[in-house]
Amino acid sequence: MAHSGRNRAAVGLIAIALGVTACGGSTGPSASTAASVSAPPAAASASAPAAAAPKTLDVVKWDSPPSFGNVTINVVGDAGQNLLPYQFWKDDFAKAGITTKVTEVPFDGVYEKLKTEFVAGTGAFDVVTFYPSYIGDFASNGYLEPLDSYMAKQPAAVWDPNQQDVLPVYRELYDKWAGKTYALTIDGDAHVMVYRNDLFTNPDEQAAYKAKYGTQLKPPETWADWLQVGAFFTRKSGEKLAGQTLDHDFYGSAEFAKRGFSYAWFVDRWSSSGQLYFDNKMTPQINTPEAVAALQNFVDSLKSAPPDVRAYGYDELKDALIKGNVAMVVQWTDVPKKGADPSVSSVVGKLAVGRVPGTNVGGQVIHRGAMPVGRVVAVAADSKNKDAAYWVAKHVAYDRSLEDVSTPLTGLDPYRTSQLGHPEAYTMFADKAGAQTYLDGLKVALADGFPEILIPGAAQYDDILDLHVSKALAGEETPQVALDTVAAEWNKITDNLGRDKQTQLWLSALAGYRSLGLIK
Amino acid sequence: MAALTSRRRLPRLGKASPIRPRYLPTLLVLPAFVVLLAITIFPLLFTATLTVLSWELTTNAPARFVALGNFATVLFEDSRFWNAMRNTAVLVVVGVGLQVILGTGLALLVNRVRRGRTLIVSLLLIPVMIAPVVAGFQFRMIYNDQSGPLNYLIGLLTGGLWHGTAWLADPSVALISILLADVWQWTPFMILIVLAGLQAIPEEIHEAALVDGATPRQQATHITLPLIVPVIVIGILVRMMDTFKLFDIVYQLTAGGPGSTTETIAYYTYLQGFKYFSLGYTAAMAFIQLAVITIVARVFLGYQKRTQNRGSL
Repeated sequence: MAHSGRNRAAVGLIAIALGVTACGGSTGPSASTAASVSAPPAAASASAPAAAAPKTLDVVKWDSPPSFGNVTINVVGDAGQNLLPYQFWKDDFAKAGITTKVTEVPFDGVYEKLKTEFVAGTGAFDVVTFYPSYIGDFASNGYLEPLDSYMAKQPAAVWDPNQQDVLPVYRELYDKWAGKTYALTIDGDAHVMVYRNDLFTNPDEQAAYKAKYGTQLKPPETWADWLQVGAFFTRKSGEKLAGQTLDHDFYGSAEFAKRGFSYAWFVDRWSSSGQLYFDNKMTPQINTPEAVAALQNFVDSLKSAPPDVRAYGYDELKDALIKGNVAMVVQWTDVPKKGADPSVSSVVGKLAVGRVPGTNVGGQVIHRGAMPVGRVVAVAADSKNKDAAYWVAKHVAYDRSLEDVSTPLTGLDPYRTSQLGHPEAYTMFADKAGAQTYLDGLKVALADGFPEILIPGAAQYDDILDLHVSKALAGEETPQVALDTVAAEWNKITDNLGRDKQTQLWLSALAGYRSLGLIK
Repeated sequence: MAALTSRRRLPRLGKASPIRPRYLPTLLVLPAFVVLLAITIFPLLFTATLTVLSWELTTNAPARFVALGNFATVLFEDSRFWNAMRNTAVLVVVGVGLQVILGTGLALLVNRVRRGRTLIVSLLLIPVMIAPVVAGFQFRMIYNDQSGPLNYLIGLLTGGLWHGTAWLADPSVALISILLADVWQWTPFMILIVLAGLQAIPEEIHEAALVDGATPRQQATHITLPLIVPVIVIGILVRMMDTFKLFDIVYQLTAGGPGSTTETIAYYTYLQGFKYFSLGYTAAMAFIQLAVITIVARVFLGYQKRTQNRGSL
């Protein structure tokens, strides 16, 4: 982007901030609000007492670069546990003459914080952590440094992030834009179903279910099953569950129903219908009868969920399961690790992982699961220390990545073939077999993965979808009205951003999805 | 200012001073004027310019001139804007109304206290001194459906008949929950304002009324309240303008949800400006809010002027 354009935009942003204040508005959250904002896969605060680094595994062979000579690398990311690697490996950075200074921003505020800094050209950050749905926006606007030349530097043990080891879906969709690598994956998010295996295998519960519905009790295969099984397990305090008298209400299922990412739980239900966000002419496909039925299913599921489920974000949903209050959830793939950790979980050894329920299409059940969030690290184009910044990014994305994804201290999920091949690293599970079962579940979940909208404007498209899904969940709108409104609003966004350009970008994204087998 | 402009009171400048006395007032005011120009007037004018542009930073496409199109869209097509205005109006009218009633009542009580008043006022002011974002976090814990103290107390007080509700998740009560958090935080401010007004009333007026046989009730309704009305009006105005900008608690507690039941105009403006990066549209929204606040302020200040002209304090 030309400097003059950036300067004008920066003046515009500052003027908006001051002007809105002068006009009686507000300038939004500051980074200081970070620690108190609920953050999907980022529960614990990194500003909490220093966490000890996980045991080093030495699976990846890497070398430290020659000292950069006491440079400070400013890192930014969503607050909480996923910034802990910078704390874990500070000695590695020190050895390379690097001090990292980490800035935490609210989980919901990553896009606005980074975009504002990029537009204003402040150069405040060297290494930026963000959700890959923003890569189209950030890379196409020239905010990120292309990494291909850094990756090719020698010696390879210092500079090569071994991208061939990264699962293709993450390498191609998360890390690249227009054929160039702009980012390195550090968190491979996908949804899985996590359920209380002890309840599903309990003979009393199996008999009761058979008596009530005439079929075998098993983890839900379809979203219709989800409602039925959810209703079955919903019990009042004083009733019996698996032979035990409950001292609190128990619920069949729970959802991420708080505004922010509730749209992904709708996408879980809708994507298995085989439809996509837009057609080839960028006409929204979000209000089809299948989509409306999917949203209706989401609305109906709240009947078997805790009464405050509309305030459930990542933490609340995870806690509902691992504190023993619900029978099943669809969640990010880090939750089984938390559930296996006795220091936070009361259902250790009782959880199992399964495919996200699907939809019966022509007699065949199709399973798809959303892949919301995920995290990548990139080097800001206006960084003053790009080599050092790249090495910091590469160090967390590759050298120490197995340690980072296999500890329950972070919410980072596997994204490399090598990470799926080392069950012994996941020591929170009772044994290697338990870890292998978890990793096998992840492989299945990844095979079912359904991509996010990865073109510029993704934050706007997602926010509008999320708002109206939330309105449907709150009873403000019917599913049909909600999704019709989303379609109309998406058209407005597309027109605002330039329909021709957006259509081109969407077609390019579609080609990428197809080549990776994410859509058929 | 009068002192500054009076030549008689200007400090004597030495013969060698290059500053001529008649420029001194201007020079003294200049720094403040420059700061004002930089952080208020320029942004305001620039924002006014933005209102007639469509400028989407998401794609960095060049800004387009759309005349009054942004205003027309906000006012006639954007139902979300009106929903946010409605939610804000509820918080302003009901919330500030409760703060005035509770604040005035508590100030009258505190005013009667002779010993330990300073300590009581200091303790009452604690909520005001807490950062709104911290207050929001605190209320998130208080309102927690399953482990929050509020529902626990409700269960205890009703003998288990009612265990409270999902304060932040139930669409019918979420806005009330936000409102109560705001009332808790800012009622002490009204107490402080009204108490200051009460203490400014000369004791002799009450003594004269007592001599004339006025009952305590008559003194309250015919002397005390009329005399503190101008102070209350200022308090209401400050709180109304502040509540119009309510953001932190909403961001912390509900992020505008469930649905859009707690989305305030400040929160919606933030989303348009810093999530959608629609600069022109956000500027138009901000100017409409400025117009609303200005009209409300004019009404209140006019009322206050009239009451002062009638001889109040």
